[in-house]
Amino acid sequence: MKNFKFKRSLTLIAVSSLLSITVVSIPTAAQATPACTTANFVTTCLGATTDAAPYMLITPANFNGTVYLYSHGYRPNVAVPAGIPGVGGYTITNTPEPAPGGNPQIIGALLAKGFAVMGSGFARQGWNADSAIKTNVELIGVFKKQYPKTTKVVAWGSSLGGFITQALAEKYPNLISAAAPLCMASDLNPLMTMAGDAIWGIKTFFDPTIKGGNYSAGPAGYAEAMGDLVKVFTAIGAMQVAIGANPAAPAWPATSTVPAALKAVPSRSALVLVALMSGIPMQSAHFDSTSAPAGLPAANALSFQLAINPALAALENLANAAALGVLATYDLELQAGGAIFDNTATNYAARVSDEQFIWSSALSGNAGIGALLGYLAVVPRAKGDPAAMAKLASLTTHTGKVEIPTILFTATADPVTTPGNQQSVIDKYAAYSADKWAATIKERGSKKPTNNQLALWSIPAEKYTKFTAAGTPNTAVAAAPGTNHCNFTVAQHLAIADLLAYAASNGKNLSGGALLTKIRKAGNMTYDRGYIAPKMKYYGG
Amino acid sequence: MIRKTPRKGTWLAATVLASGSLFATALPAYAEAGVSAREIKLGITLPLTGAASPGYNKIGNAMNAYFKYVNDNGGVYGRKITLIQKNDEYSPQLAIAKTNELILKDKVFALVGPLGTATYTAVHKSVNLAKRGVPSLFLNTGFSGFSDKKSYPTSFMILSSYAMEAKIVAQFLKDNHAGKKLGLVYQNDEFGIDAITAFKAAGTKFDVTVPYTSGSQSAATAQTWVSQLAAGGAQVVVFFGVTSATAPLLAVSAAAKYAPQWILGSVGSDPLTLRALGVPVAVLNGAQTPAGNPSPNDTSDEYVKQFQEINTKYNDAPFDDYVLQGMNLGLMTVQALRAAGSNPTRKGLIRAMESKGSSFASVAYSPLGYSKTSNVGHTGYYMAVMDANGDRKPFGGTVKLYTTDSGSGPVVLSTFKRPAMPAKGLPSNS
Repeated sequence: MKNFKFKRSLTLIAVSSLLSITVVSIPTAAQATPACTTANFVTTCLGATTDAAPYMLITPANFNGTVYLYSHGYRPNVAVPAGIPGVGGYTITNTPEPAPGGNPQIIGALLAKGFAVMGSGFARQGWNADSAIKTNVELIGVFKKQYPKTTKVVAWGSSLGGFITQALAEKYPNLISAAAPLCMASDLNPLMTMAGDAIWGIKTFFDPTIKGGNYSAGPAGYAEAMGDLVKVFTAIGAMQVAIGANPAAPAWPATSTVPAALKAVPSRSALVLVALMSGIPMQSAHFDSTSAPAGLPAANALSFQLAINPALAALENLANAAALGVLATYDLELQAGGAIFDNTATNYAARVSDEQFIWSSALSGNAGIGALLGYLAVVPRAKGDPAAMAKLASLTTHTGKVEIPTILFTATADPVTTPGNQQSVIDKYAAYSADKWAATIKERGSKKPTNNQLALWSIPAEKYTKFTAAGTPNTAVAAAPGTNHCNFTVAQHLAIADLLAYAASNGKNLSGGALLTKIRKAGNMTYDRGYIAPKMKYYGG
Repeated sequence: MIRKTPRKGTWLAATVLASGSLFATALPAYAEAGVSAREIKLGITLPLTGAASPGYNKIGNAMNAYFKYVNDNGGVYGRKITLIQKNDEYSPQLAIAKTNELILKDKVFALVGPLGTATYTAVHKSVNLAKRGVPSLFLNTGFSGFSDKKSYPTSFMILSSYAMEAKIVAQFLKDNHAGKKLGLVYQNDEFGIDAITAFKAAGTKFDVTVPYTSGSQSAATAQTWVSQLAAGGAQVVVFFGVTSATAPLLAVSAAAKYAPQWILGSVGSDPLTLRALGVPVAVLNGAQTPAGNPSPNDTSDEYVKQFQEINTKYNDAPFDDYVLQGMNLGLMTVQALRAAGSNPTRKGLIRAMESKGSSFASVAYSPLGYSKTSNVGHTGYYMAVMDANGDRKPFGGTVKLYTTDSGSGPVVLSTFKRPAMPAKGLPSNS
């Protein structure tokens, strides 16, 4: 198989999408009443809630009574030293974000229709759902006090903000009329299990000096976590180079200490196994697990399609998952007081029993997967701290019990908040509805509960991997729709905004041909009630 | 912006769009996806291009040719059959996308003949065929895992399983090649699992085993297989893999003047395709193979004769095992559709398969295993040998059919007589 050199580091592209982008200026210090300025018929108010979380309210002169409350995604709760790929140079910020990414096009479009927008920067960063929910409740009160003609509040949010939005819908149906969790995180335990499995897999196969959790207290723990980021990206970078140099049988990284016999299995297969066992999608921003460069001999092309492209997809997605894994694990351990990841009882062979047939070529057949799983079965496992894990479990989780209309939207190849997050909320809502229907029947009623949950998906195109004229995968192009974390267009966001407005006004979601037309015009939004995303692996044992 | 108080006309239009047509709600006959007054739409995914496509890429056109023949003779209860073929290139991820397209965009009534084990595993898992209630008839794979009716309630196999095949080959080895050094080359996935498990249960011990990863087959990799087989002194080599792997194996062996007794698995042994891939006919001469169908050259067979006629008129492709298989899938599909009645529904089609499928006419010699509790297709093989012309003849001169199951059941010499070909190849069952 011909070798190739990537035009650009995969990790640089992938990880940058993890952090929510902040484009608005930092507001003034905490104050009881907001400071407002008006220009061009738009009033912008800056202030802070009682927890010192800065917020921003933007209201047009022709305010129609409906305001959009946006909750931003995960921002690390620690500064990340410059030089670390993708996330390096980050400093903690609580800049308010009144719309997805603070995008002026989205804000402008909503204001033009008479809607107001608002958002908090939240009091703390990292996993902050419990405090952010309280902040948002207070912020709604602040807005209503400032604008008494407010009639409807609709909530939306991305990633962790999607978690917060869903929780708001479950807990405060009296405060909001409709909600749209986007690329949502759902329950924390499965999410951190996915991240933990990914880091542990990278550590086990590629660099055992990665700590992967159970970080020390104080500055030493911070140094360990940042060191892990560097080591993870170094291992992933080494794999990228190795696959480029010899796609069929890439070398194992120099940091790997797997037995010599295991090194007979191509290292790329270990990447695929780590992705599968942690539940990370097998399509990434630039790799569709299907395409091959033009001009390869037929046999090589098939091998690229079935084995090489999936390995590159796993590589690209693992960069994202591992970045989340390290940063969130460090933060949550600080909050919980100890190690939160425990895989002492995990049966990784059972985890991949279905997929190993599908990805047999990428896993180098039964012999390859047998050897890799055999190694995972004998190496030491990560042990969590029971008290810390219990504390983590006590944080807010979703119940799926929602009475107001909700609109869910995620990409089926999101490597950070995998589609299983959205699916778990769909399943919980279905169970809740079934319980309600059973209770209705028991009371001799006949009216079925209304389905107030609209689940939309962004699905990648059949083929989207681009190659240069020389046959090298081109990772300099934009991430394909349906892939990457919260990779939505302005048109998609505005379609969601329209659907929220309709739901708030009508008490139910848009349906039928009008819905289909709306999402078709936005592009790459699919409504398919028959679609079931694979749940996060944690649910499957 | 979305209108808050929609006009009645707008909503009527939306309702019509959503349900397909107003007419649809009035006539149950048109209520099912893929079925209209004049047409039944079916879909198939298979590799039409790429390294894995040789041979397999003929199946869809052969099915289509048979459907055209049926359509020209009145269709199925007056409806013409349209078959939509999608090229999955043997890629699981692409098979998912193409199947979604068939179901959601093309809105086919059922899938027929989807090909490939990894691809179908991926499709079943990701497209949720069972939950959607989409019938998937006559899978072109012999993986015995698909015979789990609980997991695959809407799927029906057609090929005898790889486990059945291995059990019958094991018996053949015992009866005809006892005492010789045995080699096994197998695709190292569920294809191979079926074979290995069955050989192990039958007590067959191979002196040399050579696994290969699906997709890795090439002349270069075949060199390593042949080296291992020759070094191990294998006198009889059993091959369980696809045609695109058989071809380099035989070609490289011939070049190396390594000439064991070949026993080529049923799905990778079509002589015409192998010859087209560069395997000299002399190498094929004497190769043994388990077979389910008669030779495509056997014009004394009523099925072959009829299908050849249809092929000449509607397909004009060289008539080989794959074309025969495709035609037969068409024949069985038409019987299934007829059995589902004049107003077919997906549920009705599945019920028809369960209650009547085992009596369908099929070119293969062995019984069909369909019932309410089984989605097993054919259940046996006879052993054949290839001659100097690249044709396939029954081993020993006459067809000796062996039947068995995918589990621990015995291999039995069968007296089963397959149903006759319907008159003019046009089913009249109900």
